[in-house]
Amino acid sequence: MSSAGSADQGAQDGEAPPQELGLVGEIGATALDLFDGARGMYSVLVRTLYYTAYGRREPGSTVHYMYEIGNKSLFFLTVVMGFIGMILVYQAGVQAKRVIPDLTLLGATYLELLIRDLAASIGALMLATRVGAGIAAEIGSMVVTEQTDALRMCAADPIDYLIKPRFFASIVMTTALIIWSAAVAFTSGMLTAYSFFEVAPRTFCNLSLIDKGDLIVGLSKCVAYGAAIPIVSGYCGLSTFGGSEGVGWATTRAVVNSSLAVIILNFFISGAGIFLFP
Amino acid sequence: MASNDDGSPGLFHTMGESLLGMAETAGGMGVLFGRILARLARLRFDGAEFMRSMYKMGVKSIPIVIVTALFTGGIMVIQAAPIVKRYGAQGLLGWGAGFGTLREIGPLLTALMLSGRVGANNTAELGTMVVTEQIDALRALAIDPISFLIAPRFLAFILTLFFSTLYADALALLGAAYAGKGLLDVEPSVFYNGLTSGLLSFSDVGVGLIKSVVFGIIMALASCHFGLAVKGGAPGVGRAVNATVVASAAGIFVLDYFVSFGIS
Repeated sequence: MSSAGSADQGAQDGEAPPQELGLVGEIGATALDLFDGARGMYSVLVRTLYYTAYGRREPGSTVHYMYEIGNKSLFFLTVVMGFIGMILVYQAGVQAKRVIPDLTLLGATYLELLIRDLAASIGALMLATRVGAGIAAEIGSMVVTEQTDALRMCAADPIDYLIKPRFFASIVMTTALIIWSAAVAFTSGMLTAYSFFEVAPRTFCNLSLIDKGDLIVGLSKCVAYGAAIPIVSGYCGLSTFGGSEGVGWATTRAVVNSSLAVIILNFFISGAGIFLFP
Repeated sequence: MASNDDGSPGLFHTMGESLLGMAETAGGMGVLFGRILARLARLRFDGAEFMRSMYKMGVKSIPIVIVTALFTGGIMVIQAAPIVKRYGAQGLLGWGAGFGTLREIGPLLTALMLSGRVGANNTAELGTMVVTEQIDALRALAIDPISFLIAPRFLAFILTLFFSTLYADALALLGAAYAGKGLLDVEPSVFYNGLTSGLLSFSDVGVGLIKSVVFGIIMALASCHFGLAVKGGAPGVGRAVNATVVASAAGIFVLDYFVSFGIS
């Protein structure tokens, strides 16, 4: 029964058992993993919301994380969104010229796309890497050095102490940063349109295509992404096991899963937006 | 004013410090790039490690590339839908989605996802090796860590990104074609016609692929550099992974701009 012994060993180490599973077994194992992950994230979300209502009030630490998440990402996000604005307007202008020679609606269409989707999604993808990796690395190191166990010994739930303030800070700062990044991308796009296609800034700043639906879809994306990033990466951080390698793994999973969460949420919110505000 | 009254560093001090930090990173990555190229040019890198890296980076990333690409294609069509409806340009949907996907969104999103999946993972692995002194052990055995560990990963990373981009382009267009059918009642055949009617050429695919190689180089360099520069145990590994994803994302967008302007 040496194979059973090695399987036990694997289960003790928290790894998948080493024997061949076959195709169906692989699919089943993956499905179970996904289900476990989804249940874990759901539990983190529910407990965060619970502590929001009944937990301790600590405005100090929320403000601290707002600084960590918001102010420290400002430079990074400004650089990225500035370049994105230039690329998008340049590519769109070159292509649009092939079909319609008239570029007066370039700015209006660009602004609509930016508010409806691109500012929120690209900005949130950047925040998912910057903020998500940071949260998972911090919490993961605390788990590995048994600081979260110490919190539990003191009858304090790590979610109340560690995740709840980040959750608030992230929702507020993601919204603020995305509004800022839309402004940066629009300004850099305007300068590009002026210098490459001679579209006057006055023509480019055309708000006529923006309606209530665009604003609602854009802002609900901000809130959804801002809530998803700390929950997903906080869950990845809390489920860290095993030394420095484990911290690396947790950080990787946090980046991948929160980026995926952003893309999937984007798909569903955009789809809902199309049906609600045609 | 070098410091504030309470002794904390002032604004110029902080700015100078971060500038020096950036210069150090850029210099470190440049030196590493030179060393890797020297090994690759003389074909002095470990073949078995290369195959292992190709499997770990390429094959294992396929599911995430599939999910990302299909959703991306759908999102492209959802965003194009109001414009298509406004102008009644159903025939141009294939061209619009194809152009956006092949030139920008395909390479960009594949690179961003793999920066998390592959780049961060690679940093974590190398960082763990540094922290547990495995790299020093290699040096003590007179094995060159760059030709044994770094150069194979570098090459595998670039090839992974290249092939994943090719694959993601195709899948994103498939996703876009069926999202167009579901949302806008544009038949997939009309969509494919728009793709192949002559408004798009091989250069659109080519630009995307060139971008993917450029992104691969910067991401592989960032992930290897930060992985090898880890200091201080488990928190150090976490910080290094964080630095890798931030540097990769910033590098991807900045280079995207220059490649878009350089060869358009």
